Amino acid sequence: MDVNLRIAGEAGQGVDTTGRVLTGAFAALGLHVLASQNYMSRIRGGLNWFDVRIGDIELFSSRKQTELLVALTSEALEKLRGDVAEGGIVLFNGAATDGAVAVELEKVAKQVGGSPIMANTVAAGAVFGLLGYELDALAAHVTETLGGKGAEVLQANLACARKGYELGNASGRGLKAPGPAGAPSAVYSGSEAVGLAAATAGVKFVTAYPMSPSTAAFTYLAGIADEYGILIQQAEDEISAINMICGAVYGGVPAMTTTSGGGFALMTEGLSLAGVAELPVVIMVAQRPGPATGLPTHTAQEDLLFVLHAGHGEFPRAVFAPGTPEQAYALTRRAFEVAHRYRTPAIILTDQYLADMLKNSSPLDASTRPIDRCLVEKPAPGYLSYRVTDSGVSPRALPGSGAIVVADSHEHTEDGHITEDPDVRVRMVDKRRRKLDGMRAEAVPPELYGPKRAGHLLICWGSTYGPAREAADILGGSTAVLHFAQPWPFDATAARRAIESVGAGRVTCVESNATGQFASLLRSSGALDEAELMLRYDSWPFTAEDIAARCAS
Amino acid sequence: MSPIQTAAETAWCPGCGNHMILKAVPKAMEAAGVDPTSLVLVSGIGQAAKLPHYTRASMFNGLHGRALSHAFGIKVANHKLKVVIASGDGDMYGEGGNHFVHNIRRNVSVTAFVHNNQVYGLTKGQASPTSDLGFTTKIDTHGVTSLPFNPIALAIVLDCPFVARTFCGDKEHMHETMVAALKHVDGFALVDILQPCPSFNRVNTYPWYRERCRRVDGSHDPFDRARALELAFRWGDSGATEIPIGIIYRSNRPSYESQQPVLKKGTLVEQLAHA
Repeated sequence: MDVNLRIAGEAGQGVDTTGRVLTGAFAALGLHVLASQNYMSRIRGGLNWFDVRIGDIELFSSRKQTELLVALTSEALEKLRGDVAEGGIVLFNGAATDGAVAVELEKVAKQVGGSPIMANTVAAGAVFGLLGYELDALAAHVTETLGGKGAEVLQANLACARKGYELGNASGRGLKAPGPAGAPSAVYSGSEAVGLAAATAGVKFVTAYPMSPSTAAFTYLAGIADEYGILIQQAEDEISAINMICGAVYGGVPAMTTTSGGGFALMTEGLSLAGVAELPVVIMVAQRPGPATGLPTHTAQEDLLFVLHAGHGEFPRAVFAPGTPEQAYALTRRAFEVAHRYRTPAIILTDQYLADMLKNSSPLDASTRPIDRCLVEKPAPGYLSYRVTDSGVSPRALPGSGAIVVADSHEHTEDGHITEDPDVRVRMVDKRRRKLDGMRAEAVPPELYGPKRAGHLLICWGSTYGPAREAADILGGSTAVLHFAQPWPFDATAARRAIESVGAGRVTCVESNATGQFASLLRSSGALDEAELMLRYDSWPFTAEDIAARCAS
Repeated sequence: MSPIQTAAETAWCPGCGNHMILKAVPKAMEAAGVDPTSLVLVSGIGQAAKLPHYTRASMFNGLHGRALSHAFGIKVANHKLKVVIASGDGDMYGEGGNHFVHNIRRNVSVTAFVHNNQVYGLTKGQASPTSDLGFTTKIDTHGVTSLPFNPIALAIVLDCPFVARTFCGDKEHMHETMVAALKHVDGFALVDILQPCPSFNRVNTYPWYRERCRRVDGSHDPFDRARALELAFRWGDSGATEIPIGIIYRSNRPSYESQQPVLKKGTLVEQLAHA
């Protein structure tokens, strides 16, 4: 069983803080959690909410309906009351109102000696009380997270948690809540997973221009930079960011930039440079709905074909699209490895939903294990930066290693100098193109979830994985899911085989865009003939129920 | 250390100032004691940006306007490398203007030689950010009306620790100025090199520059910012007919690298090797 609780209020009211405290506390109890955030593009006011779904089985999707709404404002109460399930509870921050458990959170916080911002802790306590969990578990988590802020702050928060808990209990209301299920206590967001993977893979230089929803990964990396020995530089613009990392990888260190669609648009010339100069840059693109400024804090999968085709001219690239924070960790490391193995750009394509999603998982390895940069340590005399090889990959040496090392944006000779010789041009185009064969051969294959044979196959990529997977569970044994965590390059023959092996009479591509971008890619590659499209482009993420309902109709 | 070899054949026009600059760069490097094995020449796009291709040295010839971004990345990856930029007025002050401002603010330790011929050569004769008022081109048929970009003044305002101007027609001066710039190792060094373009700039010719360029005299204290700024505003025919050349401004602002705690343990490349 599972319960979905929603903390809703204005930006700046502590919606996020309360959500995070509860997420951590639930995970520490051994509950499975999946938290997601819905917020407006503003710093104060408006209506934001933070959903924490808890269960005794692993959770993969957010849910529209809530069993426990914590409404911090009247607006939150009015607008979200309709989502409360029958038998659900509303905890309202204010005077008594129809049917709701009313607690004046700030007032209570002050009564027990806390400050107004500790209203968040009162709310967390009340939630624990209403769900019937032990106060001790919340207190332990609060102690762990606030222990460093001094005894006074900690004691006041503990008093707030206790008072909130008592008020929750005293309301006489309560919910049946899932019991601890031995779930791991470690919780990661998609952004943190990308950042941690980059840091442990040996990234030494990270530069970006802030842009929602990519900033969380950049901020996380800045927070762990001292520990991992990473140089962080905020760039003057995205153009500079990508061109700086081109320089840094030439200089010898793994380097990354983080951005979203609009910023990536500015990076496309630099991406093309990385393609021709054969520089192993890694770019994280966190998607949000466009075009142009679009909906900055919402989610979409609209930029797959953009990242795939961005940059003038033709050059190979790899695109990874994780479905969970755990996948984001594994695929980010892989992006660095593939970029260096093939001397070409790799893109990690996430979105707001995944970037901000919090989910527990077994602890991700935080130890530094630098990837193989595939370097020639002691280049021989006559070293050629762009030597033509069977694999298309030219052995890479670093400046300062004794060799003359060249990076050039023109078409060039093997020693990296400008040429207009048509034969050399053809050899160089072919050399770069051959790299894609190797990349395709080692691409992450699509993962099948559910029965090996099913009447209905859902095809998805990126963060639609979780909702599709849970939809298949809701629908029982009739539905399977095929998830592509690497939308490019892929082996079209193997993909076709994977699709056909399910023997589904009905095939549906599920995507958060209005045109079915991955479906068209599958069709153009020959992996897929006909398929239905199930598209969502209202700027909200798919939910499992949403997909299941549309499958049934 | 053997000096850096240069190519006999180039794609530049006869009489182009770039030939003189190409000859001067290896000599200045040798005189300044630059180790060729730890050198990276960086450029964007333009006639000047071809210079690294005519040398036997490690080089990064990237995108138009982005030489400073490439150079910054190279320098942070391995700050023991000597990073020298060959750029033009369009590359550095036009397309790369934003990076010019922000990398001087950062004060990354690179040497920027900007071949300033006040015109676009590669694209055949359009106005550049430094073209004089009234300069006519096939695009600016009524003459340029935008105020010329003043790299020296802007660099001084941004407290660039080494700001100099030279003229490629004064070989001795160009050599001395390049050597001093290359020896400046803490922070950004800018050398604006006045350079005629015989193909597309019929106004700012060798005689035009020769008549106006005056070496700043020995009494000039480059650490005097107000005086430096006053020199920076002297240009050609506007009021005073002199263009001061020499080291216009210096300061002791700490370099970018010296302020990054993570670089105190060695270069990032070294740290990765020992991880």
